[in-house]
Amino acid sequence: MDFEFSDDQDSLRDAVARWVEKGFGFERRHALAKAGGASREVLNELAELGLMGLAVPEAHGGMGFGPVEAMVVMEELGRGLVHAPYAAAALVSPTALSAAPQDVQATWLPRMASGEALVVLAHQERAARYRLNHVTTRATANGTGHVLTGAKSVVPAGDEADAFIVPARLSGADHDTAGIGLFLVERGGTGVSVRGYPTQDGGRAAELTLAAAPATLICADGFDALALAADVGIAAACAEGTGLMERLLAITVDYMNTRKQFGVAIASFQALRHRVADVKMQLELGRSMSYFASMKLGEPAAARRRAISQAKVQLGRSMRQVGQDCIQLHGGIGVTDEYIASHYFKRLTMLEMTWGDTLHHLGEVSSRMQDSAGVFA
Amino acid sequence: MDLNFTDEELAFRAHIRQWVSEHLPADISHKVHHALRLSREDMQRWARILGAKGWLGWNWPVEFGGPGWNAVQRHLFEEECALAGAPRVVPFGPVMVAPVIMAFGNREQQQRFLPGIASGEVWWSQGYSEPGSGSDLASLKTRAERRGSVYVVNGQKTWTTLGQYGEWIFCLVRTSNEGKPQTGISFLLIDMKSPGITVRPIITLEGEHEVNEVWFDNVEVPAENLIGEENKGWTYAKHLLSHERTNIADVNRAKRELERLKRIAKAEGVWDDQRFRDQIALLEVDIVALEMMVLRVLSAEKSGKQSLDVAGLLKIRGSEIQQRYTELMMLAAGPASVPLVREAMEAGWQGDQALAALWPGAVPQAAPLAGTYFNYRKTSIYGGSNEVQRNIVAQTVLG
Repeated sequence: MDFEFSDDQDSLRDAVARWVEKGFGFERRHALAKAGGASREVLNELAELGLMGLAVPEAHGGMGFGPVEAMVVMEELGRGLVHAPYAAAALVSPTALSAAPQDVQATWLPRMASGEALVVLAHQERAARYRLNHVTTRATANGTGHVLTGAKSVVPAGDEADAFIVPARLSGADHDTAGIGLFLVERGGTGVSVRGYPTQDGGRAAELTLAAAPATLICADGFDALALAADVGIAAACAEGTGLMERLLAITVDYMNTRKQFGVAIASFQALRHRVADVKMQLELGRSMSYFASMKLGEPAAARRRAISQAKVQLGRSMRQVGQDCIQLHGGIGVTDEYIASHYFKRLTMLEMTWGDTLHHLGEVSSRMQDSAGVFA
Repeated sequence: MDLNFTDEELAFRAHIRQWVSEHLPADISHKVHHALRLSREDMQRWARILGAKGWLGWNWPVEFGGPGWNAVQRHLFEEECALAGAPRVVPFGPVMVAPVIMAFGNREQQQRFLPGIASGEVWWSQGYSEPGSGSDLASLKTRAERRGSVYVVNGQKTWTTLGQYGEWIFCLVRTSNEGKPQTGISFLLIDMKSPGITVRPIITLEGEHEVNEVWFDNVEVPAENLIGEENKGWTYAKHLLSHERTNIADVNRAKRELERLKRIAKAEGVWDDQRFRDQIALLEVDIVALEMMVLRVLSAEKSGKQSLDVAGLLKIRGSEIQQRYTELMMLAAGPASVPLVREAMEAGWQGDQALAALWPGAVPQAAPLAGTYFNYRKTSIYGGSNEVQRNIVAQTVLG
């Protein structure tokens, strides 16, 4: 039992933090968001740091790092409010692709690691809410390959991506976990249409429509790989949320020690101080469960899924309370577009709705409860 | 970064588990698992068993006869005891006064007092709070006047937990009114059989006798019972607080009680009610998050790299969770928790016929639930109220 970071992990953290400090100030972020939320240039810079290959095996040109390194990077990207679908492109997609045949991996992973190819998971369907097993997009065998027909919703950086990893149904009913295949679909292929739009948090997403679109099979019985990829995404969201919350609290503390009302710094008022204590509580509980999520990623599926849902429930509550309270603690300035705190708040809010909100994961925890509970249960 | 315990830690845990399973009397663990009333004899019996093994002072260093365990080992020991249904060790002797005697007492005091604490023979009580001094403890007024070779103590302490059993009491007393309130306080050890001491019960809202008033009327205390220097008592008491570590969160007991809550919910038929079950699930998440926070503190202590200053958070969260599981247990039993049956707190009581007819089968385990819920309102008040804890947390964040 050891929660200390290694020297290499500390160096990785420093490298990301230095890039954020030099290259990703609030003004740049604000300008990118105003321009529609495109993120490819930011991803290219992260690729120059080698970060796009973080989770790609060394054999495919990546660094082959594990969950803790991913967590460290996500915390720093969160702290810097870096809006780029880093987790989607560099953590989730390589995880899903690890279920692919070697030749598919060899085709895509090196290009993903170098930043040349942007591949994202397009799993959500409009009626699915957050259920991974709700898949109505159909896959039909077509000669030696497959074609897919259906629609996917809120695909991160959908109109910038080069390819999508798409869960599609090979057999069974809409909610069966069996019969879901994972496929790779290129954006430029026939039958693929994409409609992009900006998102609430300054990023970009798209609706993806597939009409007999040619697809490469990653894995025919793909639900387990999809679930693992989603859990990697949740752990990344937890870590990003931790970084966001930590920085937002620091911004709030600075403001409270500067802003004066009734002739004194507002940090002197007990009603506000107690709210800060509650925010600190939620931050530390959230950080604790972010560690928990990342360290449980290697567990067998049942234990992993339960732990990940427990973590997302805690982070969902923490992110909402920290976001709302820090806006409140600022007063009027907190609800302006020009001030940075509101952008942290919006990102925290959108993260709660990524990969399943608090109620969704509470339902998961509820249905997975055992007689005993605890970190090691 | 690794969540798992090392092989040595797991072997240590197995060793403790084995020993506890062999030595914890079944009648005592039965009472603990069912929240039944523990007698003085029950608590003392377990303390003596631990004492004979040298583990009653499980947080003591080797030089004072303790096992010299590190933070993780202490945690594992506490966890194994809690999960097995051992009573909480009454902390006033081994956990609270002993570290002060070790750090600030003289050799004579150490030789005189520590053996009786380590063996579990002597029952200690705590004399801090006063009627006018709760969260503002430094305002305390109980006076100790030096007259020759004795201090003469006058005043009143209150909320003295299990003071009805106390043989010795460690007190904060006022020896000076000069300067700040904190600088005139001394730390005095007092024999509770001394003439002039009166212990009066305070019956708390659930009807139980757990806490007491202790009155001092010209009580003569030998001057050699003063710990350290006169007027330095506040510093010693603070040292004590800084050594209250993760056990303040009591997460191990919370895990045990969560299991009990699930058993009650199943027996009462609300386990399958999604609305109720979700409340248990939320509590489960709270407990896992608290345990992770505790483990982070232990890891930081073990590594020695950095300390994690979250004691205030652990106290707030731990007490909120304790209150929540007692609340959910009561709500799970619902109407069966309404009848007030004092005898139901005693082991062996199975419900008299009249009550059994009203609530068939459910009465014995349901009867103590409301009382425990009422009693546990104390947890967010004692040991520095949760509002005082928030002040402390805010101080570390805001300056």
